[in-house]
Amino acid sequence: MEKQRVSQLQRIVRSKAFTLFVLLAVLILGFGFLSPVIKRGAVFFQANTLKTTLQDLSIPAFLAIGAGCLMVSGSLDFSQARVGAFAGIIVAAGVQWWGLSWYVAVILALALSAGIGLINAILVNELKFQPFIATMAMSSIIYAVMYLAATDKTSQVQSTINFTSPGLSKVISWSVTLGGLELPGTVLLLIVAFIVYGLVLSKTRFGRQLYLLGGNATAARLSGINAKKTSYFLFINCSILSGLAGIIYTGRSNQGSLLALANDQFTGMTAAILGGISFGGGSGGMGGAFLGLLVIKTFSKGLAIINVNTYLTNVLSGALLLAALTLDYFSQRRQMKRIGI
Amino acid sequence: MDQYLEFSGISKSYPGVKALSEISFRAEGGKVLALLGENGAGKSTLLKIMSGDQRADEGAVSLNGETVILSSPAQAIKAGISVIYQERQLIPSMSVMENIFLGAPPVKHGLIDYKRLRADTQEIIDKFKLPIDPETPVMFLSIAYQQMVEIMKAYRRNSTVIAFDEPTAPLTDTEITILFDLIRQLKAEGKIVVYVSHRMKEIFEVTDEIVVLKDGQFVTRLVTSETNEQALISAMVGRDIGDTYANLSRNEKYGDTLLEVSGLTTSAITDVSFSLRRGEVLGFAGLVGSGRTEVMRAIFGADVVTAGEIKLDGETVSFSSPRDAIDKGIALCPEDRKEQGLVLYRSIEDNVCMPVLSKLKKGPFLDTKALEKTTRNAVDRYDIKTPTVDKIVAELSGGNQQKVILGRWTNDKMDTKILILDEPTKGIDVGTKAEIYQMVCDLAKQGLGVIFISSELTEVINVADRIFVMHDGRIMGNMTREEATEENVLALAMAE
Repeated sequence: MEKQRVSQLQRIVRSKAFTLFVLLAVLILGFGFLSPVIKRGAVFFQANTLKTTLQDLSIPAFLAIGAGCLMVSGSLDFSQARVGAFAGIIVAAGVQWWGLSWYVAVILALALSAGIGLINAILVNELKFQPFIATMAMSSIIYAVMYLAATDKTSQVQSTINFTSPGLSKVISWSVTLGGLELPGTVLLLIVAFIVYGLVLSKTRFGRQLYLLGGNATAARLSGINAKKTSYFLFINCSILSGLAGIIYTGRSNQGSLLALANDQFTGMTAAILGGISFGGGSGGMGGAFLGLLVIKTFSKGLAIINVNTYLTNVLSGALLLAALTLDYFSQRRQMKRIGI
Repeated sequence: MDQYLEFSGISKSYPGVKALSEISFRAEGGKVLALLGENGAGKSTLLKIMSGDQRADEGAVSLNGETVILSSPAQAIKAGISVIYQERQLIPSMSVMENIFLGAPPVKHGLIDYKRLRADTQEIIDKFKLPIDPETPVMFLSIAYQQMVEIMKAYRRNSTVIAFDEPTAPLTDTEITILFDLIRQLKAEGKIVVYVSHRMKEIFEVTDEIVVLKDGQFVTRLVTSETNEQALISAMVGRDIGDTYANLSRNEKYGDTLLEVSGLTTSAITDVSFSLRRGEVLGFAGLVGSGRTEVMRAIFGADVVTAGEIKLDGETVSFSSPRDAIDKGIALCPEDRKEQGLVLYRSIEDNVCMPVLSKLKKGPFLDTKALEKTTRNAVDRYDIKTPTVDKIVAELSGGNQQKVILGRWTNDKMDTKILILDEPTKGIDVGTKAEIYQMVCDLAKQGLGVIFISSELTEVINVADRIFVMHDGRIMGNMTREEATEENVLALAMAE
């Protein structure tokens, strides 16, 4: 019994979540104590930092959830950012040019996003394209369609479409105050989404099937798991979540942009990988992805507070990812050695 | 001058397991030395140490009296040791000559000299009298010839020691003959050949001496011509297992007809008909590629049926997916355990409960207690050696992995009527094989119909009640266990 407990503790210490937790703590403490030293007047420890970090989180969070689920099952989607931008353009053009009411535009945008997911799933499951190729190609096609949608009456392509919709703004900026801290509705939504998807992955039959498919698709299929149905669901789910991320972006900025979410193109996938969802499939979970996202965004927020310029921030973010993957590689190799493979 | 390879006091531990302990013996040039032992005896670990893939904790390997440093595969190759693994280490899209001279092609003016590359390769090919063209990409060669390329690669490096890890597993009988000729040629040239295999027949055919390992320990060293199969098995197992087949407690009572297949035809099989009763064990014999696996895939709904009829309990059925077949009580343990059977990096629990997750729910969530109970039952029933049900399947031995698959299809939430086992004992040690035969008989006793496919003739004609022999996608004939002999089954299988 004693031995079992020790190994339980070891298991926690060895787990990815623990590593991320330590990393996050180091980042928070590091930035907290060093930022006033590095730059006069810079304060990391303030309520605003938490609030804005969480706010920055909500858009890539939906990407991370969609990408994470697909990756657990051994697949992926590179069209996420474009689907988001596309949904934003549809909402903006719908309200501003086509005279739709905001909720009709939002529903239309989500439906079109789902349609893109369906096409991705057909390409991968029926025409047997590699997910990488299929979704890359879709990404280009969406970009072209977006140009068409963003062409105004005078045949000019608008790279941004400004619009005003008091209804949408009100919904997006709705917030609650919990214990003195103002929590935006979008943040609340993302926390709920993480919990729901986390439960689905770890506690339900559907979730368990994703891991088995990601671990060995042939064995799973021969054991009666419907791989196709699952794949359709995941691609459509991923696209709808990407569309949702795009709509939140558009609602906040009051404009649809061809380049919306471009900065977050890989943030979702990166967070998932940091959190232990490997490209091969069959491992990791939502808790890890959420922590991974927190690490990425805390890091970039901290750098912004001490006024590091954008280029250097990008370099450092890349370095952070490489460092995390290196750690991961060594811990996996240690495990392989232990098994004797 | 005779060459020799000496192992002195080799030990290697993995956490919790002593894989090798103080192994010492000598392999001599001009002889083929067999390494024999059950799974987990330490043969693979010893090969890995020889190839520089793993390092020994203690002890040394020396070649002709000089200690060799084996810190990496490159070092081992440089020292003259080549290990040929089951998974061929070739580059499929590159030609035979490029593979043979991989890493050291002849060079002229800083560029690869293709003319010389071709000529040099042809010279080696001629030496072994093989019908291979140096410019063929390796992926277009049969598995047997790919293995030959691997051997020529080792030969080209001028390796003194060439070790084989179960080289005949994927080969047909004719191909095995070619391989053995090659090995004899290496022997004649005075090379030190180390040969690892489970197959007794081959050991007696091609080796000169045998070293037996058990649980990481050196057991004995024998001269092949002075020993016999029975003696080897008891040395490997450490006890006399007696006559496995005579000791099986079989089912004697058959029920009504469960499965009736008539005229089944797909792209790989033609006009296959047979029937299976409750409590019966049907054997399917035949050479690799004779269509046995394809018959089962067709029944299971994994391949498209173009003609014929399948009746289950008197009712005509056609399955469009494995799920349909499973729901009707048909279970398939596929041929390739690791590729098609198991999700290796998931737990025993996941692997056992995989097809019945929908029956193990509590509200919207999986019922963890029920999952564990079902898994526990399977673990106890088949005596799977594991401390917990959470253990990753990749960490189990081959025999225990096979038991996990059996546990999956006969777990307490399954209602399996027909169990199809495709090569269930492949790569499994002698002791566990006997256990699996008994499990097959026990399942028959419980009223299941069992289909048992095997390429090992002795096994299939001794375990099954009735044996169907296939050749080229057709059933060539069938006979009872009493009627079957290795000779008459083989004659049908080769369509003589």
